[in-house]
Amino acid sequence: MNPEIVPIYRKKSIRKDGMLFVRTDGILETMVKAPLILAGLIIVTVLIPLQTSFSSTRILELIIYSDGSTHVSTQIDVDPSEPDFELDLFGKSIDNFVAVGDAGFLLSEEIVEDKAIIDTFGSSSIIIDYDIDDLISKEGRVWTFSFDSPSDYTLLMPKNSVIVGMSGLPNNMELVDEQTKLGLTAGLSEINYIFTPINPTTHKPTISSESSFNYVNAVVIGGTIIAAVTCVVLLLKRKESKSSPSIIQTESISEKQIETKSIDIETIFSFRPEMREDDKEIVKFIFHKGGQVLESELRKKFLQPRTTMWRAVKRLERLGIIEIDKKDLQNLVKLKKNLEEEK
Amino acid sequence: MKKIISFVLFILVSSVVLVGMTNTAQAQNDPSILLKIAKHAQEQLESQINQDSSDKTKQLFKEGTQQIMALEESLRNNDTDLAKKHFLSTMKIFKEISQQLTNSQSSQAEVITRKDTVKDPSADLLRIQDYVDNIKIIAKKYSTSIDFSELDNLFVKAKKQITDKQFDDALQTISKIKQITVDFNNEIRAHASQQEQSRAKEYAQKYLEQLDRLIEDVKNQGLSEDIIQKLETARENLSSATDPHEIIKQIREIISIKEQFELTKNDRLESRVMQIEKILLKLSDSDKLSQVDLDDAKKTLQTIKHHLAQDEFETANKLLQSLATLLEQFQD
Repeated sequence: MNPEIVPIYRKKSIRKDGMLFVRTDGILETMVKAPLILAGLIIVTVLIPLQTSFSSTRILELIIYSDGSTHVSTQIDVDPSEPDFELDLFGKSIDNFVAVGDAGFLLSEEIVEDKAIIDTFGSSSIIIDYDIDDLISKEGRVWTFSFDSPSDYTLLMPKNSVIVGMSGLPNNMELVDEQTKLGLTAGLSEINYIFTPINPTTHKPTISSESSFNYVNAVVIGGTIIAAVTCVVLLLKRKESKSSPSIIQTESISEKQIETKSIDIETIFSFRPEMREDDKEIVKFIFHKGGQVLESELRKKFLQPRTTMWRAVKRLERLGIIEIDKKDLQNLVKLKKNLEEEK
Repeated sequence: MKKIISFVLFILVSSVVLVGMTNTAQAQNDPSILLKIAKHAQEQLESQINQDSSDKTKQLFKEGTQQIMALEESLRNNDTDLAKKHFLSTMKIFKEISQQLTNSQSSQAEVITRKDTVKDPSADLLRIQDYVDNIKIIAKKYSTSIDFSELDNLFVKAKKQITDKQFDDALQTISKIKQITVDFNNEIRAHASQQEQSRAKEYAQKYLEQLDRLIEDVKNQGLSEDIIQKLETARENLSSATDPHEIIKQIREIISIKEQFELTKNDRLESRVMQIEKILLKLSDSDKLSQVDLDDAKKTLQTIKHHLAQDEFETANKLLQSLATLLEQFQD
């Protein structure tokens, strides 16, 4: 933490008569630093409201089922000072609604037409899941997904579906367990698709553009981390009298692994044969790491964005394969020792 | 030294911006996915067009194929804008072909705006399975004694019935699953309701503290007795409320008073302070921040509160944003 980022106090040095006295030996530093900090603050001022403004959708994921219903899963930042939160639903035919607050507790809600009033009571982030029938229509054998999204989102198409019409441009596409997953931008999108009885294995896209995206992202994030570490080291040097060596400790859990190899990897896969291929890779990795890893390690290993990996981990949790614990504010993903209990 | 630190800070801030920009820019820079989608559709439609298909359909397919070739060409030339145009044209044509093929296969094109009534209830089962999986996690969170084994057996049974094409039986099993799920849901909500009451009280307590500060501020500003009286009455009502819905009602009443007398100017900042406090609380339990840094952050937060109390909103806002940016670096 750097108290030097607070140039606002310097205003107090301006005297009532309007004269500003500046120490000449520090003038160079002041002149160099002030524009830099000012530029930084301007950027932050522009950026922060976009990133952390209240009631902003952090994650939005849609899954289309083969019967034309859609599952909506979203994470929303809400104002912690408000007692409740009014959510605009994407239609009126809502089913299986679940709202969960900060600590994973169920939040009560009242749904009136296409609005849900959720009692948040100080939660700053809520996760909402529901099914909806309003986003898909069908004419003959052509199904149409039509959605005006408030934010960027992902859309998982049903198995054996083929997209035959699109009104907009996807920004990403990957294949997830024989299902096409599209990344789409905010705004109105219309996607037409048909089902084919043939399993078009040879036709399916095999490259995820997300991988190339992640390399660039990783470089930027890596740069950020290096810069942050450099900054902190410099700060610590400045504060020799107060210094305490621990800033960021990346603890490798793998060194402290608990052997959970009593369960064979094939047993896990046979326990949930419907598990996706990419999820199996995650399970294999956790297994070979001794049964538990940090979610951040998974992201590094599979070069997946946080949201994608978060969904994968939640999927595995729902399947009863893994459990999620907290370790130093990080998610510790552990293979379950007893699969039968969830069966 | 200060110059270096300033430079590093600038790099940090810039990289945060850069990451945000990269998410959009890079994702839209892979137009090859457009070709994949278009070709996939082309191959599927080609397999469905036969000698009986109308000339118009065949002609459209030719046009679609030409558009794909043009799309490929524009991709080779790195002309992304043109590629996007060709993609949209292709998909428009293919959509029309699909509709024509549908019409030729069925003279009655039935328009359904809700769930299609299919015999195979696989999707229904999958949907309810996802819901139950969610419920299980919440049940575990509340340490309920709900036994899901019967439900799990029913899922296995329904899956088998679907595999064996016994769809009517599967529908009956799914109906049973839904009934049990409703019961479980009610049970979990009863547990949740108990905890909600204590969370609501805790929240009301924090709100009362904030309200006390506001009343004090209003008194110091010399505002009318009427406003003070209204706020104090609202405070009394809130402090005596125990039911979560009553608490919400009373807080809404207070918010309404604040809006009526324009006392909401620092509400948003107070909310941000609450969020930052939550982040600091989490970070203080981890080893991500040294004690010195943590103390600095807490001190800054106190300064922000002080500025808020002094109505120095601009200063408080700037400090708050700087602090939030720095703390984000340490969050997972």
